[in-house]
Amino acid sequence: MSLQASTPLAVKTCEKLGADEAEAYAQRTRTVEVVLERAEIQSERVKVQQGIGIRLVKKKGLGFAFSSDLSKASVETTCRNALSLARTAIPNPDWVSFPAAEKLPKTPTGTFDESVAALSGNDVLKLAMRAFDAAKKQDKRAEIDDGKFSAIASEIAVSNSHGIEATQKGTLLEGFLVCIAKEKGEVSSMAFEYDISRSMKFSPESIGKSAAEKAAASLRPKTTESFVGQLVLDADTASTILLYPLLSSVNADNVQRRRSLWADKLGEKVAVPPLNVTDDGLLSNGIGSSIFDAEGVPRQKTPVLTKGVLKGFLHNSFTANKEKRKSSGNASRENYNTLPVVFASNLIVEPGKKKLDEIVSLVDKGIIMRRFSGNVRTDSGEFSGIAKQAGYIEKGEIKYPLKETMISGNAFNALMNIVAIGRETRPTFMNSYVPPILIDKVNIVSK
Amino acid sequence: MMLDTLVKCLGKSVADHVEMRYHRREALTISIRDGKMDELNKGFVEGVCSRALVKGSWGFSSTTSLEEKEIVKALKDATSLARASKPKKRRFANLAEVKPAEDSYTTKMKRDPRKADQEELVRLVKDTDANVRGFSKRIVSDSVVFAVIDDDLAFASSEGARITQRIVRCTGRVMATAREKGNLTSAYESIGEQSGLEVLEKTPLIEIGKVAAERADKLVSAPVAPGGVFPVILENKIVGLLAHEAVGHCSEADLVYGGSFLAGKVGKKVASNIVTLVDDGRYSGGLGTMKYDDEGVPTEKTVVIEKGVVKGFLHSRETALEFKVHATGNARAWNFEFDPIIRMRNTYIETGDQSIEELAEGIKEGYFLKGGLGGQADFTGEFMFGTQEAVKIKNGRLGESLRGVTISGNAFEVLKNVNAIGKDFIMRAGMCGKEQINYVGMGGPSLRTKVMLGGVTK
Repeated sequence: MSLQASTPLAVKTCEKLGADEAEAYAQRTRTVEVVLERAEIQSERVKVQQGIGIRLVKKKGLGFAFSSDLSKASVETTCRNALSLARTAIPNPDWVSFPAAEKLPKTPTGTFDESVAALSGNDVLKLAMRAFDAAKKQDKRAEIDDGKFSAIASEIAVSNSHGIEATQKGTLLEGFLVCIAKEKGEVSSMAFEYDISRSMKFSPESIGKSAAEKAAASLRPKTTESFVGQLVLDADTASTILLYPLLSSVNADNVQRRRSLWADKLGEKVAVPPLNVTDDGLLSNGIGSSIFDAEGVPRQKTPVLTKGVLKGFLHNSFTANKEKRKSSGNASRENYNTLPVVFASNLIVEPGKKKLDEIVSLVDKGIIMRRFSGNVRTDSGEFSGIAKQAGYIEKGEIKYPLKETMISGNAFNALMNIVAIGRETRPTFMNSYVPPILIDKVNIVSK
Repeated sequence: MMLDTLVKCLGKSVADHVEMRYHRREALTISIRDGKMDELNKGFVEGVCSRALVKGSWGFSSTTSLEEKEIVKALKDATSLARASKPKKRRFANLAEVKPAEDSYTTKMKRDPRKADQEELVRLVKDTDANVRGFSKRIVSDSVVFAVIDDDLAFASSEGARITQRIVRCTGRVMATAREKGNLTSAYESIGEQSGLEVLEKTPLIEIGKVAAERADKLVSAPVAPGGVFPVILENKIVGLLAHEAVGHCSEADLVYGGSFLAGKVGKKVASNIVTLVDDGRYSGGLGTMKYDDEGVPTEKTVVIEKGVVKGFLHSRETALEFKVHATGNARAWNFEFDPIIRMRNTYIETGDQSIEELAEGIKEGYFLKGGLGGQADFTGEFMFGTQEAVKIKNGRLGESLRGVTISGNAFEVLKNVNAIGKDFIMRAGMCGKEQINYVGMGGPSLRTKVMLGGVTK
């Protein structure tokens, strides 16, 4: 069956079986990917994933069944399975209902690119080779350790018992390289670079160039003493260390479950005044943009932090219903076989005015870190790990690359200790748009 | 029988070598959070893939359709991809000889979880959740999840291999969050085995719930551990992470080929005499156990380090030929959407004979590190993984508990510094991400060594 036909059929079938209400979410994704390993094409794959996930409610008991088979018979069996699970489930007193249909916004621009959807294995391979060649051209000492380039085209259909019946499609092109540099028997630490785009506006050359540059720059590293100092984060590391705990704390599900340190802080200052963060599901060309979220609720723009003050939380329909308010359109599902959770659409940090080298010039004693190999406790905010692709900064200059250096601190303290916000914002794999950020009072640990 | 369909489709192959796999993964997930049921899920994902070799060039294609014509199409796509990408390849694949197996394997189970009463399983999760929340008034939130994953696998190759495997895994995990005066922390515990419900007799879900609740409660207002290099005891539950992250990845032949720390080190000493490290594909109950890997190669117990000396690496058929050794059965794929790559199975450090007290006796000032979090390694041997709790050790005695931090070091320095090994061996369940995720086992006894703690600078 087509996706468009499968979801209304599923909802109708569930209702006939005696469901109080039901929702069906179907997805088809075509992925063309090329995996590079040790300077070689390790594999080239074309895969089509498809399936349907059905949520059925009976007396506040929620059953969820899924299947990768979209035939009529299989969809009907999946509905029966969902009913049987709903009957076994313990009723959830917090359950209110699936969302009601609303007028949908216009399709955000730049979310589907026919030419990305049409890329063949060979085309994606060419993109990968362009990145590969750029790395080699940049620096002869550079070698590709691994990498992956993917062109993804997906279609989604959602229907529910309250009139939602919507479909949308999108494309995504993403690629990364991990580079090392070799010189006189020395092997540098692994450097990571990526690009991510909804359209063909994608630069394999800058991935290759930057990965090689970073790898070569980390040759001949030294250790430093342990100290408490400043830390310059690029978009990727700022996103990992600061944005994950921030996102976890504004997730209404965590707020309601008392798992957010910001649960009682609406209207209070939680970060320095220059920090403005917005979730915008309708951003043009946005990595996470779409017409509606994973429950069929319209995407929207939600202020999260304004001048460092906590303005709002992100909701799906379940968390919104618990507070008798409207969902902010932040339901997200990894795939048809998982349940919707709350996640950012595009989490945008408003850029500042300074370029990265101007930010470095502000640092009296500290480090710059472009890759983080560590753990971030999103609820308590603690982060701790190895500073990779890191350099020691003294009096505004990067003096030498670092080795065997760890960092630790707390993201919530760090948000209060932001010294500067850069201007070069870029998208990350967590659907955030982040500029470089300079934070103070970080533990720098060495041998 | 899907195997018969695969064999029938194989007949249409024109490639030099073809492997076809069928995979159906059915999962049941039960989740209760804060006393309320948020998930009772069941479903399946199934499909078929083909991997074709044409003049040394691989091609791969998969489909979720089980219709013969679609399976044949995937086979043809794989073959044409192999042909098309050949001119761009610089290295060509050849495969080590393996006798094509005709065999069948099923997980040994005393209590088949697929036949269990769902209501009984729901009760088990519910009781654990109630117990976690009731631990103390500081526990404000929790989640308890129990899942049964049933893999139905078929493998057929143009060489004549005909293999079916039925692998059933049970996993459980608990998260407990404690809150007190503006402080908040969470603790995590898990269980998992390839087995029936008897896994719960060995370690009841309610018990790991208690460990998580106790830890979150204890650490909610505790300070973070300091930073620097310290002598430590790594708890048995996290030694598997050391074996896996620090050493295991460096012994995967594709990484060795790329110049990992272990390249060229067979026969050389890289660890303390008391360290023996193995990757075992047949460890009873191991989450990474399979009788055959996804190239149809029988798995085995592969010794990587014996008494401190490197013995061998983990191989696919391709790397085995290149290294002139036998294939070890380490080529694994997450599901039919992926081609097999070299992965660990159940990686562990062999047991010693000391008690925790004896391990602590050797430490003047250090930490007993407990509870694992995520890890990663560079192929230079520099690794890291998170710990949840750091118990102070002073003059051989255990003291107060601090919040754990991420630890790091060079794997082989850390292994050379292992100077005592405990007798409390356990095997744990884990997930490993290397391009594609997979189920693995990680094990070992508690041991004493030196690592760097990424904590607070004095």
